[in-house]
Amino acid sequence: MSSALWIAVLASALGTLLIRLLPLLWMQRRLARQGGDDSLEAMPQWLTLLGPLMIGALFGVSLTPVTPGVTSWLATAIGVLATLAVWWYKRTLGWPVAAGVAAYGVVMVLFS
Amino acid sequence: MSLQAASSPTRPWLTGMSEAIPLLGGYIPVAISFGLIATQAGFSAWEAVAISTLIYAGASQFLFVGMVAAGAPLWLVVAMTLLINLRHVVYAPNLAPWLPTSRLWPWLMHGLTDQIFALAHARLPQLPAAQRLGWYTGAALLAWLSWIGGTALGAVAGGELVARWALMGEILPFALPALFLVLVAPRFTSRRWSLALGLTIASALLLTLLGLTNVAVPLAAVCGALCFQLVKFDHCQKTEYTQGERHE
Repeated sequence: MSSALWIAVLASALGTLLIRLLPLLWMQRRLARQGGDDSLEAMPQWLTLLGPLMIGALFGVSLTPVTPGVTSWLATAIGVLATLAVWWYKRTLGWPVAAGVAAYGVVMVLFS
Repeated sequence: MSLQAASSPTRPWLTGMSEAIPLLGGYIPVAISFGLIATQAGFSAWEAVAISTLIYAGASQFLFVGMVAAGAPLWLVVAMTLLINLRHVVYAPNLAPWLPTSRLWPWLMHGLTDQIFALAHARLPQLPAAQRLGWYTGAALLAWLSWIGGTALGAVAGGELVARWALMGEILPFALPALFLVLVAPRFTSRRWSLALGLTIASALLLTLLGLTNVAVPLAAVCGALCFQLVKFDHCQKTEYTQGERHE
C-alpha cells in the first residue's frame, strides 16, 4: 500500500474509534452531572428508545440469506421458528442459536 | 449461558468469551470473505489483516477495499467509511449506565461492533458491576481476534475454503440473526414495543432487500422510534420507554 493509502486506513480507523468513543464520554459526563440519580432516568428518552430498536434493525438486516432463494428463505423461516421455540423453553443464549443454525442447516442440506 | 444471570464470579472474561461464541458463526465466514475480496482487489494478506485489525467494522471494510480498487479519491473512501459507521454513535451511550469506572473503556470502545453492542446491551444490566469490565473485555476480544483470524484465513486460503465448504459458508452466518432474535425477543414487553419492534424489523428487512443495506439499520430504527412516539395505546405510561431496557 502507498503512504496515502495507509493514511486513509489510519484515518478511517481513528474516525471509527472516535464515533464509538466520543458519545460514551458525552454520556459519562452527563451521568456524572446527574449525580446519584438513577442512571436510566438520566438518559435521554430517545436514546433508551433507540437501543432496543437498533438491535431489532440489526436482526431485520441479518435475516437476508447469503444467497437469497426459495430454499434459503424457507430455511430462514424454519431457523427463526426453531430459535424462538428453544428460546421460549430454555430462556438461554447459546441453545436457541445452536438450534436455529442446526434447523437452518438441515433445511439447506435437504433441499439444496 | 443463561440470559438471566448465569456468570462465573471468578472469571467474568471467560463468561464473556463463552457468551460471544455464537458470534463466531457469523464473524468468521464474513471475515474469510473479506480477506478473499481484499486480496482479489490487490491488497496483500498483511494489508488485509491490518485493515481488519485497525478499522474493524465489517460493511465499511468491504466498501473501503471496493472503492480503493475502483480508484475512488481517498478522501471520499474515508468519508464513506465513516458515514457507514455513523450508526455506532448511539451504541456506547446506551451502555454507559452499566459501565463501571475504568481507564480502559476508551480503548475497549474499539471493539464495540453491532454484535457486541447487542450482546452487551442484554447482558451488562444482568451482571454485577464488578464483573462487567471483564465480561466485556472477554467478549469483545474474542470477536476481534476471530475477525482478524478469519481475515488472515480468507486472504491466504479463501478461494479454496469457499470452493470446498460453500454450504458451510451459507449455513454458519445464520448464527447472527438467531443471536439477534434471542436478544430482541425479551423486549416485546407491551403492544407498543411489539409494534415498534415489528415495524423496525420489517423495514430493515425491506430496505436490505432493496439494496440499501448500509442505511437500513439507522433508517429502520428511526421508523420504529416514530411508530413508538405516534402510536399510543390507552394504558401507555412513561415507564414504557424503559421497558425495552429493563425487561425483568
